[in-house]
Amino acid sequence: MGNVVKERGLVLEKTFVAVGKQLTQAGVGQKVLELILIGVVFLILVPFLGAHRATDFAIFCIIVLSFDLLYGYMGRLSFGHLLYVGVGAYTVGLALRYLTTNPLLAIVLGIVAACLAGMAVGAITVRIAGAAFALANLAFNRVGWFLVMSPLKDITGGENGLSIRNLSFWYVNFRNPTFRFWFVLASLLLVFLLLRVFTSSSYGVLLRSIKEDEKRVRFLGYNTQFYKWVTFVLAATVAGFGGALTALNYGYVNPNTLDVHANAGIVFACLLGGSGRLYGALLGGIIYMLITNLLPVYFQRWEFFLGVALLLIVFRFRGGIWGGLEALYSGLAARAKSGSSKEGMSR
Amino acid sequence: MLQVAGIDVAYGHAKVLHDVSLDLEEGKMLFVVGRNGAGKTTLLRTIMGLLRPLKGSIYFDGGDITGLPPEQLYHRGIRYVTQDKKVFGSLTVRENIEIAAYSSGEPLSQALDKVLEIYPKMKDFLNLKAGQLSGGQRQILLIGQAMVGNPRLLLVDEPTQGLAAIVINEIARILKHLKGRLSAVVVEQNLPLVSQLADRVVALKEGKVTQVLDDASEICNTSLLEKAL
Repeated sequence: MGNVVKERGLVLEKTFVAVGKQLTQAGVGQKVLELILIGVVFLILVPFLGAHRATDFAIFCIIVLSFDLLYGYMGRLSFGHLLYVGVGAYTVGLALRYLTTNPLLAIVLGIVAACLAGMAVGAITVRIAGAAFALANLAFNRVGWFLVMSPLKDITGGENGLSIRNLSFWYVNFRNPTFRFWFVLASLLLVFLLLRVFTSSSYGVLLRSIKEDEKRVRFLGYNTQFYKWVTFVLAATVAGFGGALTALNYGYVNPNTLDVHANAGIVFACLLGGSGRLYGALLGGIIYMLITNLLPVYFQRWEFFLGVALLLIVFRFRGGIWGGLEALYSGLAARAKSGSSKEGMSR
Repeated sequence: MLQVAGIDVAYGHAKVLHDVSLDLEEGKMLFVVGRNGAGKTTLLRTIMGLLRPLKGSIYFDGGDITGLPPEQLYHRGIRYVTQDKKVFGSLTVRENIEIAAYSSGEPLSQALDKVLEIYPKMKDFLNLKAGQLSGGQRQILLIGQAMVGNPRLLLVDEPTQGLAAIVINEIARILKHLKGRLSAVVVEQNLPLVSQLADRVVALKEGKVTQVLDDASEICNTSLLEKAL
């Protein structure tokens, strides 16, 4: 027992060192530039969509980023990721109703609750893989939905949901759409930065190795169950953050936040943008939201286009849009390189 | 250093190893030879904790390691190079080494030096996806990866299988370089290579040890090795 605790302590210490190294390494300027570019993209969306909808887009991107960590990087497809979004959202709703008037404290409580839920569910589900993993998570998501709808309906409001009254505290005013937009955009950039650092550290390499061949990773001395659990908890925590922001953006929480069917949307967005790439998750999140928000205005059966896009991804563009752009860039770079070397030879 | 004491191993009801015993001293190379299906790979997998023997025990440095999981054995200094030559193909060569360095706590630069020491040409491939390497280069990368950290015992399964003669020579050179620096149990069917490198040869037939050769003159005699099969 003592050895296990010691080993896990060492693992956490190593992770901390690896992430810290990434943060302090060269390339900080590049990371800042990336954050500015993402911020600019969302600012461009505001005049077309309005601050409220742009905020919604940014929250969805946070949720897709959290899912990408689990699926894109670690290769574990879950159909129950919205459970943690729901836990975050309901915790914020309940906290602001019964515990505090401070939305920031409610967000922290939402994140902690999602983290605890991830720790409990992850301890069971990371032991399994493949379809069983996806379905076990779906089952837990279903249990969460059932709890909200039935045994806990007196406090969650059941099907009617829960309205949140305390949305402003001191300078923090979630009633103001502009404030919400800036707050959520800052949150998205923070989440992106953390995941960027995390996935480009040695820990990120480890996750990709687990995705490729977990058995071989064990031959290299890793207790893969523990690392999978840590990643699952991290993904759940970030999703819970997204859920907490959803609750504050709408001032209302209802069971749709953890509707199992909506998990397909997250999976789709991740595939569309390109799984295993943070930019892919961002791009997928934005494009998916554009499709689901704008297409219904023009086409009654707009889901048809989603289906076609999914088929194209599965059969033709496995790397998603971002993967396609990467392939295009490498092709062009290779062609330019071979062109310049031929030119050199002819001289 | 390593002692396998009378192990029986089965896949379901089919017994594959029958009362197999062997001893390996520190810094020595033991080669396991035998026809296909003799139980050579099963023996390595059992030492590595992937299979639990029905009876018998495995000791490493005097401690019982029977059935310990691979991740624990790694931190005791035991490395396993499988025969499938599977590297992490979507990672770069550098990342393949980094993942081993991260586990063992060795600085990446030091880990890279170790790999480049056994195969300097790997320097040209460090930023290449490991999946793009040839079979021989993958095998060398796997051996290099196993050298990261503080390995004491190397378990290598058919390192030259399916490789061209020129690559086999390279692998032989690397194994020769490692000889004396660490202990190794190598499963191999290439008898000339066995005769070059082995300090001890154990022949397996139908899951049983049929012969143990210790004498250098016997090991150097490939026709005698052929008979042992």
